[in-house]
Amino acid sequence: MGTKTSILILDDEPIVIKRLKPSLEKKGYEVEAFTDSREALARVQEQAFDIVVTDLKMEGIDGMQFLEAVKETSPETEVIVITGFATMETARESFRKGVSDFLAKPFKLGEIVEAIAKAEAEQKKKRG
Amino acid sequence: MMESANIHVNRLPDWIQRAFKSRKAIRGAHSALVGRFQRFQEILSLNNQILQHIADANNKLSGDYVFDQRYVHTSSKNIIGLVEKLVYTLDALAPGKYRTLRTVFTRIQTEIEQELSGHQTKVSTTFVINYNKISHNSMDEVGAKSANLAKVHSDLGLKIPRGFALTASAYHAFMTVNSLEPMITGIYKDWKAEKISLNKASATIQSRIQSCSLPAKLEHELNSAVNSLIQGRRPLIALRSSAWHEDRQHSFAGQYKTVLNIPAAEVRDAYRKVLASLYSENAMVYRHEQGYREHEVAMPVACQEMIDASVSGVLYTRDPSMPERDTLIMNATWGLGLPLVSGEAGADRFTVSRGTSLKITSIHVARKKTALRLNMKGGTRIENIEPRMQSRACLSIKQVLEVAEAGVMIENAFRQPHDIEFAFDELGQLFILQARPLALRPSRVVKAKDLAEILSNRAILLKEQGEIAQRGIASGPVFVIESKEDLDSFPDGAVLVAKTASPVLAKVLSRAAALLTDVGMVTGHLATVAREFRVPSILNCGNVSTLLSSGQSVTVDAEDNIVYEGIVPELRDYALTEEPIEETYEYRLLRRVLKKIEPLRLVEPFGENFTPEDCHSLHDITRFVHEKAVEELIRGTLYRGRAAKRAPRLDWHIPLDLFLIDIGGGLQPGAGNRITPKEIISTPMKAILRGIAVPGAWDSKPMSVDFTSFMSSLTRTTTPELAKTGFSGQNLAVLSSRYVNLSLRLGYHFTMIDSYASERVDDNYIYFRFFGGVTDAKRRSRRAQFLADSLALNDFRVELQGDLVIGRLKGMEERILMNRLFLLGVMISFTRQLDLRMINDNDVSRFVEKFKTIVEESDGHKNQHFDLG
Repeated sequence: MGTKTSILILDDEPIVIKRLKPSLEKKGYEVEAFTDSREALARVQEQAFDIVVTDLKMEGIDGMQFLEAVKETSPETEVIVITGFATMETARESFRKGVSDFLAKPFKLGEIVEAIAKAEAEQKKKRG
Repeated sequence: MMESANIHVNRLPDWIQRAFKSRKAIRGAHSALVGRFQRFQEILSLNNQILQHIADANNKLSGDYVFDQRYVHTSSKNIIGLVEKLVYTLDALAPGKYRTLRTVFTRIQTEIEQELSGHQTKVSTTFVINYNKISHNSMDEVGAKSANLAKVHSDLGLKIPRGFALTASAYHAFMTVNSLEPMITGIYKDWKAEKISLNKASATIQSRIQSCSLPAKLEHELNSAVNSLIQGRRPLIALRSSAWHEDRQHSFAGQYKTVLNIPAAEVRDAYRKVLASLYSENAMVYRHEQGYREHEVAMPVACQEMIDASVSGVLYTRDPSMPERDTLIMNATWGLGLPLVSGEAGADRFTVSRGTSLKITSIHVARKKTALRLNMKGGTRIENIEPRMQSRACLSIKQVLEVAEAGVMIENAFRQPHDIEFAFDELGQLFILQARPLALRPSRVVKAKDLAEILSNRAILLKEQGEIAQRGIASGPVFVIESKEDLDSFPDGAVLVAKTASPVLAKVLSRAAALLTDVGMVTGHLATVAREFRVPSILNCGNVSTLLSSGQSVTVDAEDNIVYEGIVPELRDYALTEEPIEETYEYRLLRRVLKKIEPLRLVEPFGENFTPEDCHSLHDITRFVHEKAVEELIRGTLYRGRAAKRAPRLDWHIPLDLFLIDIGGGLQPGAGNRITPKEIISTPMKAILRGIAVPGAWDSKPMSVDFTSFMSSLTRTTTPELAKTGFSGQNLAVLSSRYVNLSLRLGYHFTMIDSYASERVDDNYIYFRFFGGVTDAKRRSRRAQFLADSLALNDFRVELQGDLVIGRLKGMEERILMNRLFLLGVMISFTRQLDLRMINDNDVSRFVEKFKTIVEESDGHKNQHFDLG
């Protein structure tokens, strides 16, 4: 089991979780999903995930803060941003904060799977 | 993807402005026209953007996208915004003339916004729909239970009880007239804030509903429907809930009320009881847990005659505890089915396996001492069964197989295991009383997590080679379609494999487990059909038709784009328990909103129904504005000073009925009211006309050698249908020496060409748009496919979305551009007959090939010297 890539998904829209979780599990990933950013934050502080997929605009702690916190606690984690408010600005800021990919909603399932595979490969390279 | 729909038509190009400035003499006279033309251009541009936005939104229904509520909101608002601009622009072009359009727009806008904000909009004033009038489109009005039952009869030919549906509108009218909604909202609030108990909330709402009276119109319609139902028959009636979503994936089975065996006089009370059951404790909790919003609640009701059953039963088309086994389970007893459903009576149990044929695998006969029978005077009575019948199987072998066969048909048609209530009457006729999806227990089935490992050990035949047109998972034997005749022998539940995504396949698609093709577009017609029937489909796989052979078993995973060898039971069972995306709130919301945006009903510009009041969707408004904009420009006030009020018209042997507006050097100076082709200077316009005039393309006059064989297939006969395909409208070309904007309506085809051609390669472009409609969908899609393929072969960048074909060409040499315009002309000319001629799908590729030849040949004689006559 330990060989599986672990993924945490955070999005306050339940539909996104509902779609992504089973699809990624079927691909063989270990997936945990949250709609509440506080809970997600508590979880990443408990355990380092290989990949984090997060929305940007949310109630409470927003995505930017969340991904900063993730990068701070576990710099090795690859972060993928998914957002319905994609602007050049937010994209740039995300990349500056070390995000590995940035997807605008709506996206195809295939696109996120690809982004995750890319992030995985990137991580492997870094880890050597 | 949305990359500015057409950069060129959204403003008056600089060069036109320049042309006007340089021609001082006509500046004054034309300044008004420039303004009008500019607005016209704006309308065209908005029109394109709207059509693309709509097609985009529809595409999201394929199941392959992850979208959230925000998307539904923003995309609807974008479309609303564009249509609003469109309505304003038309008003600027024809001030005050179409004032009611604004009102209609506002109404539709409000309806969409209500949908988005979660307020139910009133649907219609139809309160009663007879079972034989229920169609696929009535789902929202009659609810799933009635819609499914009607389908069982209309599509599968199985017998169902006579009856009618009390609609969602009837429910809404009942709630509105009695002011129940605010009361319910208040109680819900208190319940969710835990101020009152669930028990109290439910009881209060239910007793209020039961004390209300029916709206007068509803009462009247209900009475007469009941009267015609019981006429000369046994006067007993059953009322069943047919609530929204009740019988779809979220099976609310047992949550709502069914009232059986009541006389006509009690129907109203029973109706209220069924409505009230919408707020039973269980139902309230269930909806709350499943994330249903209260505004998504409505209770259509099914009203049926009671069948005087000699035997009744329940069939599960899969064993819920072991869905992986191909077993049907049937319970049956003497008389009515109620004791069976409530578990009170002893019942015989039959199991049937379905391999290549149906086989009874076990019979367990129970002792059945009593039976529930209909009482002729109303109500029911318990009857003692005579001893020798008590231990006899209540169904014969033949009857068991008859029921099982019906069950398999139903499961195939609905693509889900089903829970079916049935009865045999005294004459031995089988009736299907109810059919609903069977909720399978996911605990018995492999979890997504463990699937990955199982799947990694399976042999893969095809991986990520094609494009997913409809998500889903299915397995079955392959059936490769080689010729049209093969379709007749296509077996139910097979995996349909074909070279092209031909619309001909639509005929059998609903019976197919899955669809795989070598070529084909996910935006094409067949893909739309696949989505309608939710057939898992992967198109454009390259070589699947040679890779797979008939009879071979495969499992198609149109989620991860993989085809596995053999049946993968774990994957199939996983699919059986998966919640379809179609059942999520966001998907339902998008579908509802699109209903007010997408359907195009306004198609006949000369019909008396072509008015603002007849616009029912934003698409209708868009269509209306486009038509009127063309009309306004033709009518042009500019020409008021002259003898004629209208723009000059083309005088030609081809009855194009084309008005010409010159905005700078497009026509010979001094040209009059009738323009001959020779008086046209505009080079792009001339190129198009030459194409249209190519011998044989327009009509069946003697034709040049190259074209004979090709065109003869197009012009063999003249049918009445063909007679309708002439240019039937006001067609308009706005010209300058190097520019043309052509809007043509031809039968039901709408073509737009916008082009500028000069020696400056960078300025040159062609924008071509074709939009069809109304005719038979298969031909329509062949036509669109033909256009798309031909355009692509001729360097156009092509987008094909349903009926909409858009081709763009930029930065080409003038010589090449002229040739392409010529081609578009030929295309316009014979597309008007194409629908009639494209009898089968091979025609598409044949026409495309022939077109290629024409290009090559006409390239040879550079200037296409056909006489414009």
